[in-house]
Amino acid sequence: MWAYTGRRLLGIIPVLFGISLLVFLFLHLIPGDPAVVMLGERASPERIAELRQKLGLERPLWEQYLLFVGNLLRGDLGTSIFNQLTINEQLARRWPATFELAIAATLFAVAIGIPFGILAAVRKNSLADNLATSFSLLGVSLPVFWLGLLLVYLFAVNLQWLPAGGRLSIETDALFKPITGFYVLDGLFQPRSLWDVVRHLILPAVTLGTIPLAILTRITRGAMLEVLSQDYVRTARAKGLSERVVIWRHALKNALLPVVTIIGLQFGTLLGGAILTETIFSWPGIGSWIYEGILNRDYPVVQGGVIFVALVFVLVNLVVDLSYALLDPRIQYR
Amino acid sequence: MKYRLLGILALGLLGSLGMAQKTLVFGSNGEPVSLESGNITDGISIYAQRQIYDTLVDFKPGSTDPQAGLAISWFASSDGKTWTFRLRQGVKFHDGTDFDASAVVFNVNRWWDPKDPSRISGGANYEIWGELFGGYKGDKGSFLAGVSAVDKYTVRFTFNSPVPYFPVAIGSGYFGIASPAAIKAAGAKYGTAAGGAVGTGPFKVKEWRPGDRLILEKNTNYWKKGLPKSDGVVFRFIKDPAARLAELKAGSIDFTTDIPPSNLKDLQSDRNLRAVFRPSFNVGYLALNPSYKPLSDVRVRQAIAMAINKKEIVRAFWGDLGVTNGHFLPSSFKTYYSPKVTDYEYNPAKAKQMLAEAGYPNGFDLEFWYMPVSRPYFPTPKEIAEAMGADLSAIGIRVKFQTKDWATYLNDRRNPPGFQAYMLGWTGDYGDPSNFFDPHFASPISDLFDSAGNKLDIKELNEVLAKAAASSNQAERVKLYQQADEITFNLALRIPIVHSQPLIAQRTSISGWVPSPLGSESFEDIVKR
Repeated sequence: MWAYTGRRLLGIIPVLFGISLLVFLFLHLIPGDPAVVMLGERASPERIAELRQKLGLERPLWEQYLLFVGNLLRGDLGTSIFNQLTINEQLARRWPATFELAIAATLFAVAIGIPFGILAAVRKNSLADNLATSFSLLGVSLPVFWLGLLLVYLFAVNLQWLPAGGRLSIETDALFKPITGFYVLDGLFQPRSLWDVVRHLILPAVTLGTIPLAILTRITRGAMLEVLSQDYVRTARAKGLSERVVIWRHALKNALLPVVTIIGLQFGTLLGGAILTETIFSWPGIGSWIYEGILNRDYPVVQGGVIFVALVFVLVNLVVDLSYALLDPRIQYR
Repeated sequence: MKYRLLGILALGLLGSLGMAQKTLVFGSNGEPVSLESGNITDGISIYAQRQIYDTLVDFKPGSTDPQAGLAISWFASSDGKTWTFRLRQGVKFHDGTDFDASAVVFNVNRWWDPKDPSRISGGANYEIWGELFGGYKGDKGSFLAGVSAVDKYTVRFTFNSPVPYFPVAIGSGYFGIASPAAIKAAGAKYGTAAGGAVGTGPFKVKEWRPGDRLILEKNTNYWKKGLPKSDGVVFRFIKDPAARLAELKAGSIDFTTDIPPSNLKDLQSDRNLRAVFRPSFNVGYLALNPSYKPLSDVRVRQAIAMAINKKEIVRAFWGDLGVTNGHFLPSSFKTYYSPKVTDYEYNPAKAKQMLAEAGYPNGFDLEFWYMPVSRPYFPTPKEIAEAMGADLSAIGIRVKFQTKDWATYLNDRRNPPGFQAYMLGWTGDYGDPSNFFDPHFASPISDLFDSAGNKLDIKELNEVLAKAAASSNQAERVKLYQQADEITFNLALRIPIVHSQPLIAQRTSISGWVPSPLGSESFEDIVKR
């Protein structure tokens, strides 16, 4: 298994190169360049040309790419064209925010989706099953942006139960000391702020977690139904084991295998897909950062952001694959 | 249980934070690009800088009329080629260093002189200086010939030709005076989140958290006694207008700008909120490019101006938030309006007849470009374009709508032969008509082309604008700009559709906010209950 892990890790390198090339090419294929965006509607063509020169945009594309990859190999993702901050520095600041949000969304999805899925499978065709199935259908079809705003208007504007955006209220912000950047974790050491942190996390996590929740419900239900029709379940039942033991001990463990894959994949998707949620809730993470980077044609930001997300995605996949072996001893990696 | 916990938390917060309550929270519609003065062109950065820096010349609240700022008085030489500024004494930068003439000279050289050692490489380009003042030191077109300290509190600017509007231009939010010591210390990092920014303004930079917020605290040594009235300002970066409005309603921000006009009713019906109108200082126009066959005929262009029901369009899309007239200048410049200019009447029948006279009885095909982004002058460009298109099709012009992403749009309109017809607008930088006319009509016009595909050059208009820009006689300037008003109106190259009042909003818990037509203002007078 160690050899397998090593091989998989090595395999990440060509993947990242491929992604770096693709991102670079796609970005530079989009018309419009940072010089024009920076200078806006008032700039004269001469000034634009001057700035392009300064930014190195006049160089041939291959030269720009080699420069970018050369720096990448040295672990330097470059500097934002717009605010002159290094990409590494900004990534370090932003990834905990996105991770915290993605973890919270995943927890929300798992905590509700799996029990719902099991319930739906066990009581197939019951009212509960119908509810779970239709809710999950609704969940995947809700536009994230709309759902987010709806939740904000309901819970923040009208009921005023939860905050509308940001990670902390202004009052707490004056006291709060970020340590790890994971505010819930940091909040454990600053109990006064913890509740404020959690309150700010709820709406964005629910918004981001709704689609994975719906998917998880369906997958769990499907997997569970399949397992329940297997011979060994029938055997277990025939042996006179209680329904609880049959479901929780025998069936669930096997049904979880595909569910784990989905959780892993969804988590990866959440990191990249947090763009809309982060925009609605002005959440200072990677999603809103990449989004602005695209609007501004801030090449280094988009390249750095996408490569980072890709790296995490690949790593998460590896972890998912490895976790199979833990869940099912029959699976081995060589 | 939950409520008890909440209660305890709330009490604890109130106890320890009696002061922090008076911190203003501003919903900024984006993040500043830089806090380095003279090195930005976007309104978001200017707004933040306006709180940190003072400028030589300030403006009376809510107007474009100049008043004393860091300079207490200024005067021009009789030939108009020299401007002398007397500076305020006893003012200190946030870092404790003195503000004086050498600090002004240092800042100006940095903006103006490409070889100045305090200029930094990186992304800094000091674009706006070149744009407003004809170029940089060593450039042929540079208005400025030199700047020097006459004594510790007197600065003199000498020019190659008279620049009558120099005081108001140097007073614009771009040119906040920064601490030379701080710039030297921070080097290339000055103005970034890592390097900070140091001015003499009402608020000091405490922390800039990229992607999240900019935290400013009170400058307790501010030279205006008793100001600022609040303990600090937090700029929260909230790009999405719907999210910004939601946060305003929920009370997590106190005031914000750039709200879509369609939300006006919504604001007015919430008793915790107040809709605020920023005085109009912009123009949204439809540009007609004479390099294309039918549009090269002035009768066709005038027919288009006549066919668009501007009044109805403005009523529908702006309501109380916009006015339409035939003038390219917004109404803050009423003095420069020619009495001879009354807007083209809306008359599709006559427009059709004019088209026929020009040789197009059956109309023609027109590529009509609308902006992909919303701007204060065109909040919903696509819908407005469609309304104009409907009016044009009524006189037989077959409109084909086009758009591109913003950066490309701005770029491509200038590549010959340019777009046939396109929407764009302009928001002023400072209170002088040259700032509206020159970028759009001074020679040669960079985005409109003549029938040969060359940049359009209109001799008569050029002469008028050049004369006006150089004249230091106010009566003469009024006459010349009125003349320019008539010429641009008759040419119908850019048909002014609207002068809009940007919609902004506040919670009723704050008071003292007087929005400036210039697009940003100091928060020094604002108090929060």
